[in-house]
Formats: sequence, C-alpha cells, structure tokens
Amino acid sequence: MPQFPFHRTRRSFLAGTAAGAALSVLAFQARAQAAKEVPLAEYTPEYLSPAEYAFVMAATARLIPSEGDGPGALDARVPVFIDRQLAGDFGIAADLYMEGPFNPEADPNLGTQTALPPAEIYRQGIPAFDIWCADTQGGLFADLDTDAQDIALTALSNGEVGLSADLREFWSLLLQNTKEGYFCDPQYGGNAGMESWVYIGFPGARGNFDDWVGRQEVYPLGPVNIAGERA
Amino acid sequence: MNRVLRVLLIVAAIAMVAFLAFLYVPVQRTPAQMVLAADYAVPEGAGAYAMRIADCAACHTAEGGQPFAGGRAIISPVGTIYSSNITPDPETGVGRYTLSEFRAALYDGVRPDGSHLYPAMPYENYRKLTEQDIRALYSYFQNDVPPVKATQPLNDLAFPFNLSWGLRAWKWVALGEPGFTARSSDADLARGQYLVEGPGHCGACHSPRNALMAQAALTGADPAFLSGGQIAGWTAPPLRGAISAIQGWSAHDITLILATARNAHSAINGEMQLVVRDSSQYMTDGDLTAIAAYLGALNQRAPKPAAEGQTDTEKLLISADPSMDLGPRLYLDNCAACHFTNGRGADEVFPELDGSSLVTAESPTGLISMILQGGELPSTAVRPARLRMPGFAYRLSDDEVATLATFLRQAWSNNTDAVTVDEVSGLRQLDTAN
Ligand code: HEC
Ligand code: HEC
Ligand code: HEC
Repeated sequence: MPQFPFHRTRRSFLAGTAAGAALSVLAFQARAQAAKEVPLAEYTPEYLSPAEYAFVMAATARLIPSEGDGPGALDARVPVFIDRQLAGDFGIAADLYMEGPFNPEADPNLGTQTALPPAEIYRQGIPAFDIWCADTQGGLFADLDTDAQDIALTALSNGEVGLSADLREFWSLLLQNTKEGYFCDPQYGGNAGMESWVYIGFPGARGNFDDWVGRQEVYPLGPVNIAGERA
Repeated sequence: MNRVLRVLLIVAAIAMVAFLAFLYVPVQRTPAQMVLAADYAVPEGAGAYAMRIADCAACHTAEGGQPFAGGRAIISPVGTIYSSNITPDPETGVGRYTLSEFRAALYDGVRPDGSHLYPAMPYENYRKLTEQDIRALYSYFQNDVPPVKATQPLNDLAFPFNLSWGLRAWKWVALGEPGFTARSSDADLARGQYLVEGPGHCGACHSPRNALMAQAALTGADPAFLSGGQIAGWTAPPLRGAISAIQGWSAHDITLILATARNAHSAINGEMQLVVRDSSQYMTDGDLTAIAAYLGALNQRAPKPAAEGQTDTEKLLISADPSMDLGPRLYLDNCAACHFTNGRGADEVFPELDGSSLVTAESPTGLISMILQGGELPSTAVRPARLRMPGFAYRLSDDEVATLATFLRQAWSNNTDAVTVDEVSGLRQLDTAN
C-alpha cells in the first residue's frame, strides 16, 4: 500500500524520537485500566448506530492498526472516544461558529464549509462512503478485507469517492478524531490504560520537568493522567 | 463525738454560706484601669482601627452576614456557641450598653444583666486593653456601625459551661489581673507585647489550654505563652522555642505574612486566614514591625543554615526512578509541579513544604485537609492575588493521601510521625458531611 500515507509511517516517526527509545522498557508497566471496561465489541454506543459503530471500528483499526509495535486504535478504544464526542457538545458543534456563509468552493485553508455539525457529517458521510465502497470494492467498508479497506480510505483521503460538498470534511474529521482518541486523556474514553502515552514516552499531566531540562537522557518515569492514575 | 459533729456542722454551714454568696453576690465589674481627661475624645479613625487590631469581626460577623450582627457558630470542645449581635440595635444588640457595661463585657465577660459570657469571647486577653482602646471600641460600636436587628440561636454547651455559676467559678481560676504592664522600656517591644497579649489575642490560639480549657499562660513572661495550640482541629504552631518555624524567619518574613498571608517560607491557612483577612492586614507598618520585634525577642533568632547540596529526598525525586516508593511517586505526580523537588516552592507563591509547621505539626489534620481540599489565600491590599492550591480529594484515595502525607512528614529535613489511613478517612467523611 505505498500510496496510503498513514500506515506505520507515523508511528515509526513517533517511535523514532528520543522519547520513543524508552518504550520497550516502559510498555510492560502500563496498567491495563482498559480491562476494567467492557470489551469494545460489547460497548453500547451513545450516538452511533450499530452500522455506524461497525464502520468506525473498522476505519480506525486501519488508520492506526494494532499489528505493529505499539497499541492500535482499537487497543486505545478510539471508537469509544469518537462515539462519546459525537454524543456531546462536539457532535452538535456547540462551540463552533455555524452561521455561514458556506462556500464549498472556498480554499480549504478558509476552514470548514458545511452547515452540518460533526455528528451529522458522520451520519451522512458513512453511508455515502459505503455506497462508493459497494460500487468499487464490492461491499460495505466494514465487510471489506484490509487491503480493500486501505484502498478505500486512500481514495477517501484523496477526495475521490464522490462525496457531496457538505461532506467534504468527513475524511479530515475522521482522521483528526482518531488521533485525538488515541492521545487524549483517558477520561474521554480513548487512550485506554494510557498505552499510547507510554508508547511515545509522553509523561502525562505531571506539570513540572524543570530538573530534566537539558538532560540528554530518556525521562524514565511512566505517565500519570488527569485522574491521577499511573501507568 | 458530739464535738466533732458540731465542728463538721459549722464547717458545712460556712461552706453553704460561701456557696450562696458565690451564687448571689453581684458580680464585680472591673473599673477603668486608667483615668482619662474629662474631655477625652476618641481620635478620628481610632474606633475602626481598634476593631481591626482586636478582630471583633472574626467572630461577630457571620460568613456572608451583616457586619457585627453575630450568629456565627463557634464549635468548641464543650459545645457550640453563637456569637452575639454587637451592632448598636437597642433590643438585640449593644445599643443600651453603658461604657462601664461595655468595658465589663470585654474585661470580665459579663453582660449588663450580670450573666456570664462563654470564653469563646476572648476576654482573658481583652482584659489587657487600654482604656483608650476601650473608649475607641465603645464609640465605634455605638456610633459607627449600622444597627441590625438580629438574634442568634441558643448556645448548646456541656456542663459546667452551661451554668452561670460554672462560668463564674471558671473565671475565678482563669482570669489574670486586669490591665497591661509592659515588660520592656523599648517602645516597639512594649507595643508589640500589647498587641500580641491584648487585642490581637494571639495566645487564644497559639497558647496551649490547661485542664480547665483556659489559656495556659497570658503573658510572654511565661514560657507556655505562644508555645503552640489547637484551633478547629488545626495546629496553631508555636511562635517561640526550638521547634517554632518562625525562629528562622526575619522580621520582614513576619510582617509580610501578617500583611499578606504569604512570605518566602509559608502560607496561611485555617483559622489564621481570618486573622489576616479581617485584622492583621489592616495593621499599620509600625504595629506590624512592633509585633515582629516582640516575637523576635521571644525567640533567639536562629536563621536556618543554608542547606548544603541536595537532600536525599531531592535526589530521589529528581531521579524519576520508576522503582521509587509510592509516597515520592505521588509527590512527583501531584505536587512537585508547584512545590518543586526541593520542597521549597517559590517565594510568596508556592510555600515551602520542607520545614513547614503545617506539614510537621504533631496533628496531621491541617496537612490532610490541605491535600484533600486545597486552599486559597485571602486577597490583601498588598497582595491581592487569591493564590489557589487545588484539592486532591477527587484524585487520591485515602490510602494514597496517607502515604503521601507520611512521605512529606519525613521528606527533606522533616522528621515527624506517619499518618494513618483512618485519620484520612475520618477527615474525608467530615468534609463530605459539611
Ligand atoms: C474569638 C471570638 C470572638 C472575638 C474575637 C470577639 N468576640 Fe465578642 N463574643 C464572642 C462570643 C462567642 C460571644 C457570646 C458569648 C456567650 O454567648 O456567652 C460574644 C459576646 C460579646 C458581647 C456580649 C453581647 C451580649 O450582650 O450578648 C460583647 C459586648 C462582645 N462580644 C464584644 C466584642 C468586641 C467589642 C470584640 C472586639 C474587641 C469582640 N467581642 C471580639 C466571641 C468573640
Ligand atoms: C483564631 C486562631 C488564631 C489567632 C487568634 C492567631 N493565630 Fe496565628 N495561626 C493560627 C493557625 C491555625 C496557624 C497555622 C496556619 C497554617 O497552618 O497555615 C497560625 C499561623 C501563624 C503564623 C505562621 C507560623 C508558622 O509556623 O508558619 C504566624 C507567624 C502567626 N500565626 C502569628 C499570629 C499572631 C502574631 C497572632 C496575633 C496577632 C495570631 N497569629 C493570632 C491561628 C491563630
Ligand atoms: C497548582 C499548584 C499546586 C499544586 C499542584 C500543589 N500545591 Fe500545595 N500550594 C499551592 C499554593 C499556591 C499554596 C498556597 C495556598 C494556600 O496555602 O492556601 C499551597 C499550599 C500548600 C500547603 C500549605 C503550606 C503552608 O505553609 O501552610 C501545603 C501543605 C501544600 N500546599 C501541600 C501540597 C501537596 C501535598 C500537594 C500535592 C498533593 C500540593 N500542595 C500540590 C500550590 C500547589
């Protein structure tokens, strides 16, 4: 899949930083908070329908796959994060300016050009994308094999799946929310067990590393989250 | 035999008469301790200032209530007591008090009707007020405070404090001589002694109490005076002696903490916050300097030798070694952001935890409360910022708080007993109940 830009490369990049070098040491320390929670497959979404949830599971699993040297999106429970965000203020664009005018022709640098709030973009974007998948790949996205899924996501990322102008943000939203769910504080449902923080060597919400500024060494202590849990 | 009986009867009769006299002889009211000129007039502003240095507001103004209308609940070891309305309202306040009745309330703890005030009203200390300050206060509470009609709930006290004669007997034992005697001819030291022993009633909290719940000493000549006390479960640290933190402080450190609730070492929490908020921040520079001079004289000032190098605690914290115990780990995860790995915080912003009297107090109540609930410094004219420390009750279990508190009490140069989980659970329940 040479044309798919997000496969492995981003994690290799992260793991390649100085912080990443400590990962193998730290990984075993991660406390499996996730174990306390219901398995992803049994999670009852607050916003997403069963079909939409199946899509989000399948899509995020390809954006950050589990078959690598760190946790994947599903290990980090990214779908839970996305569902909870869409069910809340983020989903209804409570904090966004939504009065328009919207001009689908506008330069993407001018920002979002749709009257649809994020939850609605997922609601309309998923079936529209599934139609494209069915037509070109022979099935709904969630039912495709991983190679076909990667081809579909690549097409989506290149704007080649014929989405309406209103849904222009679907891909960037999906990708952004996947990253957010991967690296968020665990209180938001993602980054289960702080495993993605452990993976990149991010020490979490500790607040003061004065003593370590300028030291050319790996900071050895695992992360702490906003709830004060340790990993 | 008959003779013995007769003697016993006579003794009993005398005791009975003495007891009846004790009950029924009118209470004595201490007269003015100094004769002022017949045309003496209270100087402009002296009334309000005397009210500030004596901190009448601390007890007589309920939180969010009308000024001096009373009703503040004071929880004491012998029961709950409600402060009086001391606005000039004639029915519910002190509007009908004569000067000598007002003086008697402050000197003798006696109301105009002869009933006795519970010593939550610090007349043990106010007994030393000068006649000028009595006049100033009288004028202030008759003329400068707006009258408010307000009654307060009945006191709920245990024996013998619920009985008038019990209080009377208590006063016979507890009260010292009225009036103030300076022990130094130095004007600053004398003024400092007056403020501390008299109106400032510092000893009401900072001196221990004896078996009768009276202040163990009322003057600096007695080493028990300001040697440390308890208030509302918190420790009012010793202000003198080898274990007092302030003996390592400069005079500037002392004036600064009284004026702003913060200095290079410490921050003020607990009941002392009310002292700073309502009283000491209003003291003139001259009076603050006098208090600092007097407290300095009670201590052989011994500035702490500058710490050499890093302590073991600091080294451990800096190492960020994943195998460290839970205590230091909790400190790094929760506290080091502001109080730093050397436990010395930042001057006037983040107080020192190394050598802090709050951290090392015998009773860990104050420390546990700080960790669970956090704190907020009062805004003062000189330092308006209400510096806040967040509470950690939501973030730390009782076990973790006990482990962290124990670590702090033994970290850096601190060396005090461990804290138990039960102590933490008890305080957490109290907090959630309130
Ligand atoms: C530490 C708390 C405290 C402080 C400080 C304090 N008082 Fe009181 N005061 C009380 C309490 C409590 C009572 C009620 C006692 C009782 O009911 O037996 C009281 C009662 C009184 C009374 C009796 C009123 C009545 O008729 O019931 C007067 C007068 C009075 N205070 C004046 C003052 C003045 C003036 C000051 C400042 C110089 C002052 N108090 C400072 C706690 C305090
Ligand atoms: C109502 C009770 C009360 C009164 C009255 C009181 N204090 Fe305090 N004081 C305390 C408590 C409690 C603390 C501990 C505060 C803390 O731990 O943050 C304290 C702390 C202090 C400290 C800091 C000591 C240290 O070791 O950090 C100084 C200095 C001080 N008081 C001086 C005074 C002076 C001077 C007066 C009289 C003008 C006074 N206090 C009156 C209760 C009181
Ligand atoms: C965000 C910064 C911050 C953090 C984090 C923090 N503190 Fe504080 N702390 C403060 C400030 C500001 C004060 C002064 C405010 C006050 O005393 O009410 C303070 C005061 C204190 C005091 C009172 C000291 C005195 O002289 O009376 C203690 C004890 C304390 N902190 C302990 C802790 C402990 C233990 C932790 C970790 C669980 C912690 N603090 C975390 C900012 C912080």
